[in-house]
Order: sequence, then structure tokens, then C-alpha cells
Amino acid sequence: MIESFEWIELFSFPFMQRAILGGILLGIIGGLLGGFIVLRKLSMLGNTLSHVALIPVVMSALFQLPTTLCLVGFLMITGVAILYLIDRTNLGSDTILGIMVAGSIALGMIGFTLIQGYRGNLLSILFGDILTISNLDLILLTVLLIIIIVSIIWTLPQQILLTFNPELAKTQGILVNPYRYGFIILLSLMIALTIRSVGILLVNAFLVIPAATAQLICDEFVPFLIVAATFGAVSSVLGMMISGIWNLPSGPSIVLVQLISFTLTLLFYRRRLSMF
Amino acid sequence: MKDLNIWQEHPILEVQNLTVLRGKHIAVNRVSFNIFPGSNTAIIGPNGAGKSTLIQAILGLIPIQSGEVQFLGRSINQLGRRCQALGYIPQKLNFDRNFPITVGELVSLALPQSLFFRKRKRQIAVQSALVKVHLEHLAKQPIGTLSGGELKRVLLAYCLVVPRQLLILDEAMAEVDAKGEAEFAELLKNLQQDQGFAILQISHDLDMVSRHCDRVLCLNRHICCQGEPSQTLSSKNLEAVYGSSLTRYFHSC
Repeated sequence: MIESFEWIELFSFPFMQRAILGGILLGIIGGLLGGFIVLRKLSMLGNTLSHVALIPVVMSALFQLPTTLCLVGFLMITGVAILYLIDRTNLGSDTILGIMVAGSIALGMIGFTLIQGYRGNLLSILFGDILTISNLDLILLTVLLIIIIVSIIWTLPQQILLTFNPELAKTQGILVNPYRYGFIILLSLMIALTIRSVGILLVNAFLVIPAATAQLICDEFVPFLIVAATFGAVSSVLGMMISGIWNLPSGPSIVLVQLISFTLTLLFYRRRLSMF
Repeated sequence: MKDLNIWQEHPILEVQNLTVLRGKHIAVNRVSFNIFPGSNTAIIGPNGAGKSTLIQAILGLIPIQSGEVQFLGRSINQLGRRCQALGYIPQKLNFDRNFPITVGELVSLALPQSLFFRKRKRQIAVQSALVKVHLEHLAKQPIGTLSGGELKRVLLAYCLVVPRQLLILDEAMAEVDAKGEAEFAELLKNLQQDQGFAILQISHDLDMVSRHCDRVLCLNRHICCQGEPSQTLSSKNLEAVYGSSLTRYFHSC
């Protein structure tokens, strides 16, 4: 554990400030998108897309391409393709997602062995490093957050209705598919822009845990989204502080805080649990 | 009984030679009928007769093999804002009981989504719709805590928060007890008299159909017979639809 004056000094470093700001942005974005993911029972989709990200990361290293561009393009196309396959085949969505996860890991690992020279650290792809977040990443995350907030405000009633019951939404004249595909594109963008900060294995936690925590507390939709985003942001700040004080990896520290928040909320709001 | 001749001039829903497939099987075969303003039409028939399939095809929820469905003179797939004139209560509303939404929030989702539709106006409309179904005290209640009967009345409020010309009910009272069913039928009848919308409903309750509906369609993949309940629900017709083993029991509530 470091002394208090040391960690105050630690937080004065620009890389740490960028990391905290990035964590807050990521927490808010994850909370907002995660709200819909949790209610639409799509948490495995976030997990799948994060694993698919292994392929563009390896591709960018193999062919010397810009990583962010590769991630954005590949994940957007794959996200849309996954939804298309779920809609157009008679296979269960979990089956398609399972195939995509396994296929991505296999292709990613084979591609990884083909990289000539320095291969970087595989652990950094799996767990990410929020301390390496750049100013460009922050700008992109801010733009994404603005797009998400505007999209949600603009289409909130339609999004709530199609999340609540797609059949009811269709009879209301809501074109369900453009909203679904639009949402997948936003989710793909979020994962593409954050995968290097929090890693393939942990990015889904930012989508699922704050939203699940908010669902335990809230009875109304808009407060639910706000609480999910707040949990996401606060967890990021607390996680970064814990990471700084005890010299722990940042991403896992944030997820640990999210997990503790979820567990405490679960115990406090145990009326939500049928087992108690 | 309303004057059928007036209705026949301007149907609000026109179903022409509708054929719908379920997989490779014909679930609905060349069905044609019209729904007129202010009418109350019941679709009856045995399980597997294609009643829900017919309703889903009319609503544009499943593809049509052939034929045409027109609502207010427009194809059902090109309705746009005219969808607002059509309300639907499904047989079973599949939703997550822990979904964070209150009764008031759900009802408000049926309102026009214009940014100019102010919050206060929205609240008044929601409250007014809940008063119509006698559930104004549940506006702040989470939707997952409602009973089956309350949920159906909330869906009715959802349908009636904007003016509708047609309400489609797919066995709306399927999971509600006899008392709740009778109350719902009475409520629906009063609201229809008050607001003048037409009703197209699937029902297995022939007694209710006789008492509340002015027209009945007997369906068993195709329309076996149709007309006023007093004439259509004859033993001969019912045997043709349900088979020879049907016995009717009347209930008093």
C-alpha cells in the first residue's frame, strides 16, 4: 500500500487523469447500453463481440493496420452479421453466439502465432490496460457517449417498448429491426473503442454488472438507466483509486468494485430474491 | 343491435382471401371478412383452427402467403401513423417480471412520441386512461407486481390512452378467473359504447360471445360460417366447426 501523499501525487499524473476520465466515460456508456442489454437478455452478445475483437487486434498486428479502425469496422460488420444469423436461422441465439466465441478464439490464436517478431503481451489483450488510454481514445469515447445519449433521448419510448415486448412494439408501428441493428452498431462501437482499455475478458462486466445492480433497485425505466450509468462511473473512479493505492491492475479493480456493489445491493434489496 | 347496412358501406378492416402458412402447413386458408366501425366481432373455433395466426397476420406480425389485409383503406404493412388507430391485447404478454417500468410509464408508451407532446399533457392522458379501467391508484406500481386481471386492464388502458378505431383481442381473458373475465367483458362493452371503437376478439366463451358480440366468425383454418351470434351459434354450425362432441354449458356471471 502506498502512502496518502504518494497516491495524491499519482492522481496528478496526466496518464492517471486520462485513465480516470476514460473509466468514467466507459462506466457511463456501459451503464446506458448495459441497461438495454440486461433487459433484452443479450449479455452473451456483449461477451461474444468482445471475444470477436481478438481477430481485428491480431489482423492489425499482422498487416500493420490501424488497430482502432480495424476494431470498429470488424466489430460493426460482425455485430450486424450475428443479429442477421440469429434472425434468419432456426438455431438458438446461444448456439450462434457460442459458435462465434469459439471461432473467434481459434482464429485469433492462430493469427497470433503467425505474427512475426514482437507479439506484445497476450494478457494486455485479454485484460486491457486503462492506464494506456490516449487523448484520441478519450475524444472518441466522448463522441460515442454523446451519440448514445442523443440516440436514447430521441428513441427512448420506442426502445423501451421493443425491450419490454417486441410484439407490442410492432403493432404500434415501430420498425423493430432498424432499432435493433442500430443498437448493435452502438454496442460494437463501444466494445471496439474500449477493448484495449479493459480487455476482452472484462469489457462485458461494464455492460452487465452496473445495469444488473440498477435493476435490483429501480422500478422505473429512466431512473434505472441513470442509476446504471452512475454505478458504472462511480465504480470506475473507486476501482482506479483502489488500483492506485494497492498497486493492483486497474481493469480488474474496477470490476471488483462493480461486483462488490452488486453483492451489497443484492443483500440490501434481498426482497428481489425469491430465495430469501 | 346496430344497423348492419350502415356498417357495410365503410369497413375499417378488410381481409380478402387471406392465406397464411405455419411452416409448410396452411394455417389459414382463403379467409375473407370485413370489420365495420363500432362492431364487436368474435372469432371462435377449436384449438389449432388458426385463430391466433389469423390475428397475427392481420397485425402484420407474421408474413402472409397470399391475400390482402387493409386497415382504413391502407395495406397493413404500410400503415405508418395509422397504427395508432389500432390497439392490440395479446393472449399472453411475455415480459420480464423484473422489468423496471411502472403502470403509468407503460401506458404512456402508447402516446404519440412527439417532443412537443408535453409531460403534463402526457400525465393527464395516462391518468385519464387508467381511470377508464378503474386502475388510477396503480399508476406508480411496478408492472411485474400486477395480477393477471390487472395486467389485462392496464393493457386496455394502454390501448385506450389514444383514440382507437379497432381493438384486437387475442383471448384477452385466457388466464383470468370467471369473475375477472365477466368484469373485463362488461368494462370493454361500456368503453366501446362510450368511445365507439370496433372490436375483433378471439374467444372460447360462447356464452360471452352470444351476449356481447354482434357478429361471429367460425374458423377452422377457413371460415365455416359467419353472421349474428343468434343465428350462427346453432348446434349444427358448432358441430361443423368443433366436431360432433361439442356440448354447450352456460354460466350465469
